[in-house]
Amino acid sequence: MADFIRNPVVALPESDPEPHFSAVELVFTDGEKDEIARRIKQYPTADGAVMWVLWLAQEKFGFLPPEVLRLVASALDLPYAQVYGVATFYTQYYKGKKGKFVLDVCTCFTCQFCGGYDMLAYLEEKLDIQRGHTTPCGTFTVQEVECLGACGSAPMLQVSNGSYVHNLTRAKVDAMLEALQQGEQLPFVSLTLPQDEDEMGGNRRTDAEASELYQTPPASRATQ
Amino acid sequence: MPQVTIDGRVLEFEGQPRLLQFCLDHGIELPHFCYHPAMSVPANCRQCLVDIGAPMRDRATGEVRTDGEGNPVIRYFPKLQTSCSHVIADGQVIHTARTSEKVERAQQDTMEFLLINHPLDCPICDQAGHCPLQIQAYKYGPEGSRFEFRKVHKPKRVRLGPRVVLDAERCINCTRCVRFTDEISRSHQLTIIERGVKNYPITPPGVEFDEPYSMNVIDVCPVGALTSVDFRFQARIWEMTRTPSIATTHAKGSNCFLWVRDNLVLRITPRPNPEVNEYWLADEDRLCYRQFNEDRPAGPQVRNAAGTLEAVSWEQAISTAASVLEKAGAGAAFVGSARATVEDNWLLIQLAEQTGGQVVGFMEHIEAGHGDGWLRTDERAPNSEGCRRLGMTPVDGTMLRARLEDGTITALYVLEDDVIGLLSAADLQEVSVIVHHYHTTNRTLEVAAAALPAAMSAETIGTYVNLDGYAQRVRPAKVIQGASRTLMMQMGLSRADRHGTPFDRWYNETHYINCKPSWELLPAVAEALGAKVPAGGPRRIMEQISQRCDAFRGVSYKAMGLEGMPLPASIQLEAA
Repeated sequence: MADFIRNPVVALPESDPEPHFSAVELVFTDGEKDEIARRIKQYPTADGAVMWVLWLAQEKFGFLPPEVLRLVASALDLPYAQVYGVATFYTQYYKGKKGKFVLDVCTCFTCQFCGGYDMLAYLEEKLDIQRGHTTPCGTFTVQEVECLGACGSAPMLQVSNGSYVHNLTRAKVDAMLEALQQGEQLPFVSLTLPQDEDEMGGNRRTDAEASELYQTPPASRATQ
Repeated sequence: MPQVTIDGRVLEFEGQPRLLQFCLDHGIELPHFCYHPAMSVPANCRQCLVDIGAPMRDRATGEVRTDGEGNPVIRYFPKLQTSCSHVIADGQVIHTARTSEKVERAQQDTMEFLLINHPLDCPICDQAGHCPLQIQAYKYGPEGSRFEFRKVHKPKRVRLGPRVVLDAERCINCTRCVRFTDEISRSHQLTIIERGVKNYPITPPGVEFDEPYSMNVIDVCPVGALTSVDFRFQARIWEMTRTPSIATTHAKGSNCFLWVRDNLVLRITPRPNPEVNEYWLADEDRLCYRQFNEDRPAGPQVRNAAGTLEAVSWEQAISTAASVLEKAGAGAAFVGSARATVEDNWLLIQLAEQTGGQVVGFMEHIEAGHGDGWLRTDERAPNSEGCRRLGMTPVDGTMLRARLEDGTITALYVLEDDVIGLLSAADLQEVSVIVHHYHTTNRTLEVAAAALPAAMSAETIGTYVNLDGYAQRVRPAKVIQGASRTLMMQMGLSRADRHGTPFDRWYNETHYINCKPSWELLPAVAEALGAKVPAGGPRRIMEQISQRCDAFRGVSYKAMGLEGMPLPASIQLEAA
C-alpha cells in the first residue's frame, strides 16, 4: 500500500493473456464436482458458493488465471464476469503465478509499530527479492499485506493464506524459512490476548486442541 | 390514504413507493447517481441521503404518541437513510437537504469523497454539460476540495468493445453499466474489478463488450467514464438541438432523440417511452445517423435524351413525373414503402386512384434472423405495419416481374425506396420509373426517368406504426432547402436563423439538403396531372386518414403527442 500511495497508478489487466493450462488440465474431478455440488446446496443460489469454489480451484491449480475462472464460472453456471469480479476483489485469490510459499507480511498499523517493515526488509534481504516478487527457484513470494487481524502478536506474517507466524523476530524468520524449505508443515498457531488468558482458561477458540498456546508477554518482547 | 411529510409538504401515496422515485415523481429533486428506475437498487453512491423520522407508537396500544399540543411525536432514524432504497410508510417525516443542515452537510461530504479521485477534466469531457456529477456537484457539492494529494490514476481510453470507450478515472463506481448488462441486456459482459480506491468496471480478460445494446451504458453512465467511440469529441451538448423522433432501422419504433448541429445529425440517443422501448435503444438505431447527412441528392433530376440524369428544377421534374403517369394511365404501378410514413403511403394510394393506376404493394425490408424479440426486429424499416393497415401488402417480386414482362405495367412509381434487388435493372428497361429517393446510392436511379429527392424521417413530419400497432410521430430535426411553413412551424420557430441553440445558429447553408417531403411532392404531381389529392400538410392528411380508414380511427397528431398511441389490434380489424 505504501508503494501505491507514492505512485497511485492502477494498471489495466492484460486483456487476452496466454493460457497457462491446457483444456485437458482444466477439469474438475468427480470428487471435486461432488464437493462443489454439496457447497452449492448450502446456499440459496449458486453465487453463494463462488468464493468456496474459487478457493478449491486455487488449491488445485495454484493460482487463478482467466481460463480457471471460466472453469469455475461454468461449474457454478454463473457469468464469467461475475466470477472475475469476485476473484479480483480479494487479494487472497492469486491472479498470477506465485511461489510455492507466499509470505504475506503485515505492515498495517500495529505491525508497523512493532517492526513489520523491519521483518519485511529482512525477508527481502535474506531471499534477495523485492516485495511482490518470487525467488528465482519459485519457492517463496514475499508480499506486503494489510491487517490480518492478529495485532495482539505483532509483527506477524501469514504463509500461503494459511498458518500465521506470530511475534516475528529475525531468528524466527530464519527458522520458518528453514522449516518451509525442509518441507515441514507449519502448525496453525492461535494466540489468546493476555487479558483474556486467565478468564478463558487458555484459549477461547473452539478448535483449542489444534492450537498451541503461547505464553505472554510475547516472545519477541521477552527477548528484548 | 397514507401520507408522508417531505420538507413540510404533506403528500399522499399509494402502495409501497420508494422514497427517491416518489420524490422525483412529485418534482422534488434529490441528488443521486446509482439509482436508475429500470434497474435494481444497490444504494452504493450514498448521494441521496435524507433524514427520516417516524411517528412514535405506544408499545402496548399501538397508538401514535402525541405531545402536549396533539402533534405526533416523531422519532428520527439514528442515521441518515438512502432514499432510493427506503420504502415509505404512513406518517413518516422526511427532511431533504432543503430543510436539514445535517443532510446538506452529508451530501456535501459524500460528494467530496466521490470527487477525491475524479479527474475534474470537465473541459475535455464529453459528458460536460449534461453530467449528473457536474450538475449535482454545483448544486449539492462542497465549495472546494481539501484533497491535496496525488489522485489515483486508472486506465484511460480503454476500448471495452467496438462502440464503447472507458475512462476509469472518471468512474464513480455506481455500477449502473454492470447492472445494465446483468439485468437488462443480460450479456453479463461487464464487472467491477479490484476494490476500494482501485476499482472500476471492465470486461473480464478475453471478453469484448460487443453486445448489440452496448451503447446504452453510455447513457446510463452518470459521469463521462463511458463514452461512444463514434461520438467522442464530436460536439458539445450545448451546441446541439435535441428533437424527439423515432428510430428507423427496426420495426419496433424505438423512441429517440436526434442531436443536430449545423444541420447535421451527429448522434441518436434513446428517449424514454414505457410502452415501446423503456429507456433503451439498440446500437444499430444509434449508428445509422450518417444516413441523414451523407450521400444525399443535390436536387431533382430527369433523364435527358442522351440517357443520363440531368439536374432540373422542381417544376420540370414534377411535370416530367406527371407526364409519365399521364402517358401510362392504367398501366402505372405504384410501389409504397415501409420506410415512408403512413401519410406518404396513403397519398400514394390516392394518387394511384386518381390516375387509374394500381398500387402493387409496399417494399418491406426483412432480414430473417436479425431480430431478438426485444428492440431489434427482423423488419429493418419502421412502417410495414402502417402500410398493412392502409390495406397494402408486401410487393410480390415474381408477380411484378411477370406483369412487367407481359407489358401490362408501363410506368413504375417508387415511393422512397429502391426496387433494384427485388427487380433487376433489365426488368425495368422498357418501363418509365419515377423514384422518390433519399440517397444517391439508390440503385433505382440507374433506370429512373424522374428522380425526386424525398425528405428523410429526420426532415419530415409523419406517422410510423410499429410492429405492435403503436402509432408514433416523427418531427423535423433538421432543415431542408425550401422548407415549407408547415415544416418550419413544426420546428417551433418560423425563421431559419433562429433554429438551433444559441451556440449554433445554423448560418451555414451547405448542409441544407435540396429535397421535399413526399406529402408535398405527391400532391404536386397530382396537381400537374389535373387530379386532386388531399394536400395541406401531414396533420390534415392524418385527419382524413382517420376518417376514411378504420385501422386509423381516432388517430390524430394531438392524440399521438410525444409518446404515440396504440391502434386497435389488427386481429379485430381482420374480423371486422
